[in-house]
Amino acid sequence: MALLDDLVVQTALFPLVVGVAAVGVVRLAGGRTRGPRLAAAGVAAAFLAAYALIVGLPALPPPSSMGRLFWSAVAGLVIGVGADLAGLDRRRGTWLLGAWVTASLLWIALPVLPGSLDTITAAVLLLAGGWIALSRTAGESEGAATPGVALLAAAVAVGGVALVGASASVAQLAFALAAATGGLLLWNWPVERHAWGNAGQAALGILVLLAATLTFFSSAHAEALLLVLPAFFADRLRDRLPLPRTAAGRAMGTVALTAIALVPAAAAVGVAFLLSAGSDVSGY
Amino acid sequence: MKRLLATAALSALVALPMTVQAAPVAYKLDPAHTAVVFIVDHLGFAKAMGRFNTVAGELSFDKDAADKSSLSVTIDTTSVDTNHAKRDEHLKSPDFFNAKEFPKMTFKSTKIETTGDKTGKLHGDLTLLGVTKPVVLDVTFNKDGVSPASKQETVGFSARGTIKRSDFGMKYGVPNIGDDIQIIIESEAVKA
Repeated sequence: MALLDDLVVQTALFPLVVGVAAVGVVRLAGGRTRGPRLAAAGVAAAFLAAYALIVGLPALPPPSSMGRLFWSAVAGLVIGVGADLAGLDRRRGTWLLGAWVTASLLWIALPVLPGSLDTITAAVLLLAGGWIALSRTAGESEGAATPGVALLAAAVAVGGVALVGASASVAQLAFALAAATGGLLLWNWPVERHAWGNAGQAALGILVLLAATLTFFSSAHAEALLLVLPAFFADRLRDRLPLPRTAAGRAMGTVALTAIALVPAAAAVGVAFLLSAGSDVSGY
Repeated sequence: MKRLLATAALSALVALPMTVQAAPVAYKLDPAHTAVVFIVDHLGFAKAMGRFNTVAGELSFDKDAADKSSLSVTIDTTSVDTNHAKRDEHLKSPDFFNAKEFPKMTFKSTKIETTGDKTGKLHGDLTLLGVTKPVVLDVTFNKDGVSPASKQETVGFSARGTIKRSDFGMKYGVPNIGDDIQIIIESEAVKA
């Protein structure tokens, strides 16, 4: 078995290494001014590389929802980087990326829309959740660590719910996105070096689209993902912690933030597991 | 002129029995006696087997000129059955058959070549996951006649072939889960 066919390598090691490398390359290529703002683009780039490895490069135009997910992610990365290069402020950037997420979600879900009331409700909840997440990570002076941790926790939740719901490719892709985000976070701990940027928001949008694929085309209990939304408010709890306002304090704050954000992620996976009546998630 | 027309009409009538050929007869696949089975390598240890429990199709069969026959089959991808509920759920997911988006796969014959008295090659277009590709199956005509069980005009055939699932965009798990899919079809069709 070739190394790249190994599930752990595909899902964790490869996207982490590519994430670290891509963030570094973008940072260097962007120079002193643009580099820190564009560096988060490495997350989406690493995700796309992991997608090609795990699922294969889809055809264009894509015949299936999974293919539409990939090309939507490509579009998101281009829009995010373009918005950062154009110097679009975070409020306008969030509106732009929100519009991209909305259009992409509808494109991916096209085969099942308008569908039943359940389908429409799921689409509305996904969009509402996506917009909430985007708005929570759109702070003007925000560095990469806080939104990165929220994305990492949410990606772990999507991966876990997908794994319980027998959709291994979405699970692998979500864990790969988490690993790629880990690559960015490694650059930003203990000292925060990069901004989140619109390119970072694109990575968050990709997670919303993964959740949409899971919701519309698998039997996973995707409704459990609603429980992960508090992960995007975990910084409020971290800010109440009595941590020193020093570099060490900020580094400890990021660790604490990760622990806090992973609680709702674990809750989402746990509820999905209970809803599937303790379904067997082992290999078969 | 009348004599000429009468001669022409008579000639046509005399010639008719010699030029008429047996027309293709319409049959419908009998779901109770139709099996579409697939075999795929599982991690190199052994082959995994599965089948589709809901298959419908129409056969236009010309016994005297098999190359004029045609076949059209629709398979319900949600009916995939590997005797393991959790695996079946996975097979229906976007990783494989993506059954919510593509609940049907279809096969339409395009050409039948005869290779022997009872054998031939069935060429056709298989549409799976929204992708249509040509496939060729080795087909054996087994028997036709009135079935002693159903008392209906029945024709039976077997088909074998191999496709690459990645050709249809089903790339997940390759090569750990094999790319080559062996197909075994056994079917009886009854006169429509």
